[in-house]
Amino acid sequence: MTTTLGDAGTTPTRATGPGLPQGIGKLTRGWTLFMAVTLAASLFGVYAFFYQQANGEIVTGMRDVGTMRGAPWGLYIAFLVYFVGVSFAGITIAALIRLFNLERLRPLARMAELLTVVSLVLGTLAILADLGQPVRGVINLFRYARPQSPFFGTFTLVIAGYLFASVVYLYLGSRRDAAIMAKESTRLQGLHRFVAAGYKDTAAERGRHETATFWLALAIVPMLVVAHSTLGFVFGLQIGRPGWFSALQAPAFVVLAGVSGIGLLIVLAAVVRRACGEQESLDEYVFSWLGRLLAVLTITYLYFVVTEVLTATYGGGGRENDVTDAMLSGRYAWIFWGSMALFGASLVGLLIQILTKRWSIGALVAIGLAVNLAAVGKRFLIVVPSQTDGMLLPYETGSYSPTWVEYGVVIGLIAMGAAAIGIFMKLIPIVELPEEADTRVT
Amino acid sequence: MVTRRGFVGGAAASTAGVYVGSDLLFGGSEILSPATANSLAAVAEDVVRTTCWIGKQDCGMLARRVNGRVVKFDGDPANPRNVGTLCPKGQAQIVSIYDPNRVKTPLVRTNAKGVSGEWRKASWAEALTMVADQVNEVRSRNPKMVLWQKGRSKAKSFYDDAFVKAIGSSKLGHGAYCSDAGYRALEYTLGLHGVIHPDFEHTNYLLGWGWNITNAGGNKFCWLTWPRQMVAARERGLKIVHIDPRLRSAGPFADTWVSIRPGTDLALALALSNVLIEDGNIDVDYLTKYTNAPYLVGDDGLFLRVDELPQVWDQAAGGPVVAADATTPALEGTYEIDGESYKTGFTTWKDHVAGYTPEWAEDICDIPADRIRTIGHDFGEAASIGSTTVVDGVEVPLRPAAIMAYHMAQQELGFQALRAMTMVNMMVGSVGAAGGAFSDFTWKIHKNYEAFEKLAVEDPPYDFLLNHSKYFPINTGFPAILAKVMNDPDKYEVEDVPEVAILHMVNPLASFPSQPEFLESYPKFKFVAVISPWLNETADYFADVVLPAATVEKYEGPISATDQYIDATTMRIPAMDPLFESKGEIDIYLDLTEEIGVLYGEDGYLAQVNAALKLEEPFALPLDTKPTPREILDRWSKAQGLDKGIEYFEENGVLLKGRIDAAKRYGYATDPPFGGALHRLYGESLLKAQSEMKAKGAEETYWRDYTALPTWRAPTMEESPAEYDQYLISYHQVENKQSRTGFVPLLAELTPRQHLDMNPAAARAKGLDDGQEVTVESHNAVTGETRRITTHIAYTESIRPDTVAMPHHFGLWSHPTSRGRGPSPNEIYFTGEGYMTNTADQSFHVKVKVEST
Amino acid sequence: MTKYQMIVDLDRCQGCRACMEACKIENNTTEGTFWMYVFRLEEGVYPDAKLSFLPRPCQHCEDAPCVKVCPVGARFKRDDGLTLTDYERCIGCRYCELACPYGVNYFNWEKPEDRTYGDWSDPDLEPITGGLNPPWSNPALAEPQGPEQRMTAGGGHHKGVMEKCTFCVHRVDRGEVPACVETCPVEALRFGDVDDEGSPISRYIREHDHFRLLDDLGTKPSVVYVGGQPPSDEAHEIELVKARVER
Repeated sequence: MTTTLGDAGTTPTRATGPGLPQGIGKLTRGWTLFMAVTLAASLFGVYAFFYQQANGEIVTGMRDVGTMRGAPWGLYIAFLVYFVGVSFAGITIAALIRLFNLERLRPLARMAELLTVVSLVLGTLAILADLGQPVRGVINLFRYARPQSPFFGTFTLVIAGYLFASVVYLYLGSRRDAAIMAKESTRLQGLHRFVAAGYKDTAAERGRHETATFWLALAIVPMLVVAHSTLGFVFGLQIGRPGWFSALQAPAFVVLAGVSGIGLLIVLAAVVRRACGEQESLDEYVFSWLGRLLAVLTITYLYFVVTEVLTATYGGGGRENDVTDAMLSGRYAWIFWGSMALFGASLVGLLIQILTKRWSIGALVAIGLAVNLAAVGKRFLIVVPSQTDGMLLPYETGSYSPTWVEYGVVIGLIAMGAAAIGIFMKLIPIVELPEEADTRVT
Repeated sequence: MVTRRGFVGGAAASTAGVYVGSDLLFGGSEILSPATANSLAAVAEDVVRTTCWIGKQDCGMLARRVNGRVVKFDGDPANPRNVGTLCPKGQAQIVSIYDPNRVKTPLVRTNAKGVSGEWRKASWAEALTMVADQVNEVRSRNPKMVLWQKGRSKAKSFYDDAFVKAIGSSKLGHGAYCSDAGYRALEYTLGLHGVIHPDFEHTNYLLGWGWNITNAGGNKFCWLTWPRQMVAARERGLKIVHIDPRLRSAGPFADTWVSIRPGTDLALALALSNVLIEDGNIDVDYLTKYTNAPYLVGDDGLFLRVDELPQVWDQAAGGPVVAADATTPALEGTYEIDGESYKTGFTTWKDHVAGYTPEWAEDICDIPADRIRTIGHDFGEAASIGSTTVVDGVEVPLRPAAIMAYHMAQQELGFQALRAMTMVNMMVGSVGAAGGAFSDFTWKIHKNYEAFEKLAVEDPPYDFLLNHSKYFPINTGFPAILAKVMNDPDKYEVEDVPEVAILHMVNPLASFPSQPEFLESYPKFKFVAVISPWLNETADYFADVVLPAATVEKYEGPISATDQYIDATTMRIPAMDPLFESKGEIDIYLDLTEEIGVLYGEDGYLAQVNAALKLEEPFALPLDTKPTPREILDRWSKAQGLDKGIEYFEENGVLLKGRIDAAKRYGYATDPPFGGALHRLYGESLLKAQSEMKAKGAEETYWRDYTALPTWRAPTMEESPAEYDQYLISYHQVENKQSRTGFVPLLAELTPRQHLDMNPAAARAKGLDDGQEVTVESHNAVTGETRRITTHIAYTESIRPDTVAMPHHFGLWSHPTSRGRGPSPNEIYFTGEGYMTNTADQSFHVKVKVEST
Repeated sequence: MTKYQMIVDLDRCQGCRACMEACKIENNTTEGTFWMYVFRLEEGVYPDAKLSFLPRPCQHCEDAPCVKVCPVGARFKRDDGLTLTDYERCIGCRYCELACPYGVNYFNWEKPEDRTYGDWSDPDLEPITGGLNPPWSNPALAEPQGPEQRMTAGGGHHKGVMEKCTFCVHRVDRGEVPACVETCPVEALRFGDVDDEGSPISRYIREHDHFRLLDDLGTKPSVVYVGGQPPSDEAHEIELVKARVER
């Protein structure tokens, strides 16, 4: 250790890059291009957002239910639900790895944590984009917070508690690696020292570090269950919305969250594997494990869908049927069956790999993207049809189709998330450095 | 508030980033709310008592003001007509006060007439001089060639009477497009000015005959007074039989819906009389005493007269006796007198309707015979002939069976249809009885009653309205006839046509069928002055000068506030000064007559106002000084015994004269009974007129409905080819009145688009979907002409499959609010021969075919 | 304690929509906003067609779903039964609108001053209205209301906040009935204190068969329907108003 320090000291003029693992600090052409695209998209999103602030949400496709025959919740809420779902999967995996010491999956932990933090931030931003008075929202959601509102669980709790916990969690992990890398004198040394904040990664410190993260992981689990269940309640507890008032909402939410989150984790892992040369750590075992988990969750979710549809079609009353009809055979059928097809195809793809025990990362990535697309479709269907086709008084059927502003904001959010991950990868190891890490390139 | 809005507006215009900040600091947050900005302004609230202007019945209103600015109209609780309530039009009219699209200054046309106008602003002085010069130039030759035309007049004494008399002009109203055929029928039959309506305090059984309960008023009222009385009556058990091709008009208030075929109401009325006679539900006493039913009618259809005096068969004397002297006149019977056979009028009627059985009417009206029989029977039973009741201490016959029929008159056979409906009431003696049939709110006999006793059919040349002509011995005064005459004077044997027109609150081009006639004729006027708050369609195409009138913000009156039970009077008092440079019509006429030179002196405008308002010393206006409208109304108020004068109305809104004495309200109880009019069951003078018309060479289309007794014939429209398989009827929506409501955006929001009501089964049979765009093509069975409009189908199960219906109030283009909302049915109605009554009133029926565009 | 309720007498209502207009002027609501709405409904097949009218103000539910879900307490219940919106606190999340089974909430999708039935910036109006937009707007609506002194009266206040029927809180607090009730030409609408046994409205409810809209949802509406029946599943609207706001 000291030698490393010494050496580092003797070579103060050493350029960044080669010394640090996972290409940290190295500005590759691919990375730069990726950043350029994502940042451009982010800027477009920002423009769309302010355009909406200036003109009001008349520029969106949303309108009032009832006489105005519209839907007051649209793409923004659909994606809020989606983003928060992704975060759930991330933090769950990370927690599982820590709690059960799944050593071979450890390389996934930080990605999962990062995914959680990023998607939570995006969820928060999605809420702000949806609010008619975002500035008031930031103030009043805390100033006048009402725990009785299911929204509290979603907005206030998620934004405050959950996000905070995840950030801390991510930080604690990163701090150690930062400390290790701070030993290298690089252009990033200052940053790494700052992140490490005095942590030296001594055995004692590492011991404390492990216990802290373990207990924090333990603490986060109940919090996230609450958060995601309440997100389900946001819809599930609404007596006045045919298609929403269902006990299944909360569990269904959690499972679909898992599906989409793991799907993204697979994609991210594959990217990191290539970009950061982590072939050994992110080996087939990791992907097959994710693949199996995804398969299980997808099956569970499809089961929920079937039961939900059955209850709606047989159990549901007149207006309940209107919503189900619109979804299964009406104007929304293409989204519903489209999503179902994607889930089905993905499941088949997974089962084949499970049975043949031959895993293709390429195929898994495709599946990961597919289930996320399907998840977005399902989130849309949970949010919209109950508004346009679910009025209990004899209003005319409504309609909703998003405008460029809404698409712009959503694309911008996704791009921001991607950019954030991209930047993180260039500063802190996205794959946890192994014990006894030797940061020098041999 | 202004500054804040200014700021936010400016910020919004600038970059979005700045906007969010400004929204936080000024718009959205609790830190500084618009309220704080608002409350800085000192607020002075008060109320001005005035009356509604946008509708017909001028309900009492309280104008709520903040710092002198009207913020809301509420109903005046003291006014018996509306008792503190207002309809949607009354509520929404506040917008028209502030409407920046109003005519703000006098306008002078700068382009040719007959196309959309181009204008220059002018001073009042210049505009008035232009009008005065034109009027005087024509007056000097023939004052009658100046035409004063109104759509609605809200201070008759000042306009219709005083102004017209002062300048000696001709005048023309809108009645021919309203219910005047009904007015003529009732003037002829009962001597009363009005159509027929019930006595809701007592009526138990009502034939709501084409009564648009939920959208339009009925006799005398535009809407809400009748519905108020109707719901109250239903709560004590009134039953309504709704006779109409559409159910929508009655909404849920029809106990029975009889979906009659359009244009066949006369046939149903005759069949009902047939049933009443068959059942013996006949009020012999009434018919014998108060009608000409006992008069002896010869084979020539004329009364047996001795020295001009009609004879009846006196049973005691056993021979003919002068009606007036008969003690025991026979109601029925056929008598031999000097070898000639005479029937009583009643027997003639009985024989006349003998053929008009329910079975006969079944196919014509498309109503099952047994239903017709049931209605006739129920009506007769409900009339409880012979019963009496005591109302306000006065004993009067009780005949709680009545008919509400107002716009039923708007069909080719309207005059005789309304006569036949009145005769249904006469059979059971319900005219003027408690719960029975009423026409006016008084029993003042209208001058036409006498005039119609001998219908003058003179030789040409005729005046341009064809009064006393061989075409219309009874003549309402029909703008479309004026147009036709102007377009072809020789055809109607007319020499002089009007040269100057003053159009007062009227929009013929948009409101009256049919447009082609007006488009051709009105440009022929040498000069047209339009007095209107808006540059309406007529002004746009025909006006040389437009004088901006105020809307509700002006003095007008006196205005009746009676609900037919309570006598009351009110005034229109400006809640604000007339906006922009507009003026109230009274002001305009004072200025105009002064400019014309007929304001002062004997027979001047002021003198005519004195006469019209019955202002006598000490209240009469001095004939040498120009008063303000307020001064005039003040004198009138003082003349009514109100020491405070107009202030009384400014303080109380309405002058309540108490409940109308039952001895004045019920025809049986008046002295003399029924105002002294002998009710004409048998219309001898109509028959005489017919032979004179024939003698003078009038064609059959003019004389065929001049029959002593209402006689059924198929309407002309039935001669259209079979492909025109739908009847087009039109109706009134509660949100609209004439064309002025088309300029009110709040009402446009409620009635955004024209549509064609169609029965879904009938539409599907033609492959037409709900909401689909279609062309509606009408056919004129007389000329073969066809006209088309495009509109959208609206499925409704509450209309006959062979009938389509459209609301009026559309087809306007002169105001941003009225544009692009679809056509008016007036564009495909026809006018003139075959599509008007024998009394020169418009028919609103035509056969059409509906096709996808 | 005072409990305000409204009666809608379906045996009297003529579907004239005067209440809707009175509400708009009184509360200065924007285009396409109908705090009071009157359904004109048709069902059945010719000749057995059936027409009915159904006025729909905010039901001011005792157990109001909208109040439950509001994350910031901008939507709240008053002791006297009024369900109000604090337009200075609302963050515009529209959750209340989703929670309400009656569809009575209206969001300001754009700057209210751009939706006032016309362009009132005409210089000729300036001297008369001081540039007010709309010219009939009533300053009373921008004052804090009731003992709670919150900004709850009227509409068209800010872009991006939720608004709905207030039972005319600014009138009720002055002892007046809501504008819709006052104007109803056939007195189909009545308003009063049901806590007072002797009040006309209490008697009216006792003496007439009545129902509440979507009663089975347990929202306990403060609007009582007398006569008629709840709208059937077959009933469909005729004569639609211009209700959708577009740019």
